[in-house]
Amino acid sequence: MKSVKKVVALMTTILILSLGTTGCWNRRELPSLGIVMGVGLDKSEDSGKLEVTAQLIKTSELNSGGTGEGGGGGSGGSSAYWNLQNTGESMFATIRGFTHKSSRKLYWPHNQVIIFGRSLAENGVQEYLDFFVRDQETRLEVYMLVAQDKASDILDFQPKLEKIPAVGISELMESQDANSQTCVTQLNEFVTRLMSPTTAPIAPIIKIEGPGAKSELSVEGTAVFKKDKLIGQLTKEETRGLLWAINKVKSGIIDVKCPDCAGTVSLEIIRSKGKITSQIIDSKPSITIEIEEEGNIADQSCDANLVAPDATEKLTKQAEKAILDEVESALKKSQKLKADIFGFGDVFHQRHLKEWTQMKDDWDEIYSNLEVEITVQAKIRRSGTIGRPATPEKEQ
Amino acid sequence: MLSYLLSRLKYLKLLGQNYKLSQSNSTASKDKDEKSTTSYLSASLKNNLNLFKESLGNNYDVVIREFTINMPKQVDGALIYLTGMTDSKIVNDSILKPLMFESQLDKTTLTSKLDTIEMIRTTMLSVGEVSKSNSINDLVDNCMAGTSILLVDGCTEALLIMTADWKARSVDEPKTESVVRGSREGFIENLLTNTTLLRRKIKNPDLVLESMKIGQRTKTNVCIAYIKGLANPSLIDEIKRRLNNIHTDSILESGYIEQFIEDAPFSIFATVGNTEKPDSVAAKILEGRAAIFVDGTPFVLTVPLLLVENFQTSEDYYSRPYFVSFIRLIRFMAYLISILAPATYVALTTFHQELIPTPLLFSMASAQEGVPFPAIAEAIGMGVIFEILREAGVRLPRPVGQAVSIVGALVIGQSAVTAGLIGAPMVIVVALTAVASFVVPAQTDSGGVLRIVFVALAGFSGGFGIMIGLIGLFIHLTSLRSFGTPFLSPIAPLSVADLKDTFIRAPLWAMITRPSFIGSQDPKRKDFRLKPSPPSEKESQSE
Repeated sequence: MKSVKKVVALMTTILILSLGTTGCWNRRELPSLGIVMGVGLDKSEDSGKLEVTAQLIKTSELNSGGTGEGGGGGSGGSSAYWNLQNTGESMFATIRGFTHKSSRKLYWPHNQVIIFGRSLAENGVQEYLDFFVRDQETRLEVYMLVAQDKASDILDFQPKLEKIPAVGISELMESQDANSQTCVTQLNEFVTRLMSPTTAPIAPIIKIEGPGAKSELSVEGTAVFKKDKLIGQLTKEETRGLLWAINKVKSGIIDVKCPDCAGTVSLEIIRSKGKITSQIIDSKPSITIEIEEEGNIADQSCDANLVAPDATEKLTKQAEKAILDEVESALKKSQKLKADIFGFGDVFHQRHLKEWTQMKDDWDEIYSNLEVEITVQAKIRRSGTIGRPATPEKEQ
Repeated sequence: MLSYLLSRLKYLKLLGQNYKLSQSNSTASKDKDEKSTTSYLSASLKNNLNLFKESLGNNYDVVIREFTINMPKQVDGALIYLTGMTDSKIVNDSILKPLMFESQLDKTTLTSKLDTIEMIRTTMLSVGEVSKSNSINDLVDNCMAGTSILLVDGCTEALLIMTADWKARSVDEPKTESVVRGSREGFIENLLTNTTLLRRKIKNPDLVLESMKIGQRTKTNVCIAYIKGLANPSLIDEIKRRLNNIHTDSILESGYIEQFIEDAPFSIFATVGNTEKPDSVAAKILEGRAAIFVDGTPFVLTVPLLLVENFQTSEDYYSRPYFVSFIRLIRFMAYLISILAPATYVALTTFHQELIPTPLLFSMASAQEGVPFPAIAEAIGMGVIFEILREAGVRLPRPVGQAVSIVGALVIGQSAVTAGLIGAPMVIVVALTAVASFVVPAQTDSGGVLRIVFVALAGFSGGFGIMIGLIGLFIHLTSLRSFGTPFLSPIAPLSVADLKDTFIRAPLWAMITRPSFIGSQDPKRKDFRLKPSPPSEKESQSE
């Protein structure tokens, strides 16, 4: 009986204590959440202050049919999202300011994208990123993008396949592996580069293409930052040149001239590996980029027999040339911008610490004149389900 | 409030003591009464019959048949029995007929020097089980159990003639444990039939069936079954000790016995097993356990009980091991689902929304939109409604039961969601929980309690609360013992060899040893090298 009494007393204590813990922390029902799916940061055109656009989902509209054309800043009746805008001086104050306008408290963990407006990015993004890194509700896996123009326009562009623009953008980012011409960047990668003294942060560029009703959202190329300020951008080809070197090419198509005739051959990248190594010879620093690539013949427009050993050999050489050109163009652009997008500085830092202490102060100058040796080794593995094209065999 | 409850409990306990005291007083005084009056038979049939009439009262089912035995000289006799509890064919053909008619023909008995009663026993009664007694109490007790009593004038002893037989249900397929493959026999309410069913499975003199009577008023037959040489003698002693300590007036079902002998009466987990299937009982006592049969119920108790036994069925051993092992894991999973699913849902939707994958959050949030109750209220409410429906379905007559399920499915499942009273995901979670709880029928009751506890914990403090609850649950489980065997064995304490029949079921030819934690005296179950294999080439050539 005594032990029972003890147990009962203990249980009561635990129950009473646990009663005290209710309410004092995050107990929230689903309908009380304003789920943020995307956020856009712009510089206000009138006041020059920070203008934050938060995209909330309207849970009650999610299941009602139709994608609902035109959100119109939250006034559109049938759209499933609500773009809420607020201007302010600091990031956190502006975000907390949303409570004046939204009946539900903003809930950040499911945020998919952070989009910076161009003018804001040119003035530096660090002060606005702090909230996203520091707050416990935000995630570091969120995609970072730079809008060609205003971020709020991008967030208000209704995608055709998704109900929520931010979800559309996030899905778009996930499909970029297929071309490897966009540098898909998550917040943690961006912040890691931002923390490095030399490496330049990069982010993909998103823009609205085409006129009026026929316009489409398109993402390609790379925005290059110097410290936290946007200073330039890379084209599609230059972007893939960068991705080859930093080992981020997953798949994609390399178009080369047919070695025998005037046609075009498309090679599909199936595997690639990029490696950056540093050397200092006679106190002269240099970098070696080694790229290995394997591909298949995916498409050809001529009737040459490309599976013949000598044709494959020639094709391989051309693929190597094409890759080399891409990497070189990216290198040239970055050296012109004096932005170390490849992270060469960090390679020196890791491998040549003693020399690095002398180099780091005038790294920008060293970088723009750095000697870089690029070796490419391509292979062609397969030719799809057929060998030579479906044309009558040539008589030779 | 709690102290009030405790004092209330104490009061009840005191009441119990008083009751016990008064009862022992009354039995003592009764004994005294019996001793003061004559408790033994006299030589006069008339006096004896009066005594019987006195103690049996004027029960309508008591038959006192007076007749004359045609021995060399005529002797008066009387047969006392209960109609309905005796086989009238035996009474008529094997007792009355030889005594009244056929004894005349038998002249050899004339010269016998035996006394009358012994002569009747040895030469006239063609019944298997006949014994003698002179104590009135003994005779009355036996009479109540269906034995016929033969009184003969001039004798101070009476014959007890085994005639007990009454209507019983036929051996049937058990309702609670249905199988696809395996024996379809189930125990019935008759103790003798039940022990016979077991004896038919184990034809071995080492199978011991020890009988005792429990319950001052009901005098219920209870039988301990075990295999001599397998069951640990200390286990049998402990069972007998606990059974002998039961001083109660009535035992109506094996559940009475279970609640008097279990190790942890305050636990929500039963530490005594029960089954309706003779093959299950046979398998268990062949592993070194003991079974307790109780007259009047098809449920036979088995001890010791382990947690993992709840997840085993007799069919597991009749089917091939691969699918069975998969199903075992499914059962463990289903039990976890049945106690944790609503709690997890509540924790996810009210505390850890960040853990829900985004597309799933979309559908859950839109389903939950406009639902007036917090998730914990929904979970507890739906849980209670489900229990109401289940109980109604069990108790109601079958035709009405269907109406209940239609009302349940339509009103709760369909209309409540359409009307926006309950979110559709919650209905799915509750339905999944309900179905999962039926996978492990032996733990349905503990699951029902745990489910509510976990929902409450999750509602107060989310995943943290569930974790606290799980830790508490495991601490409790490790503390349990069933007749000396740790309840969680062979998992804790770990016995690697015995895991062969826990989460998976190893092939029969690989389960060479009996489970060690039960303490069987003969650990080896079968021969090594029982694994079947095709005849080797050499052998087939020599043939």
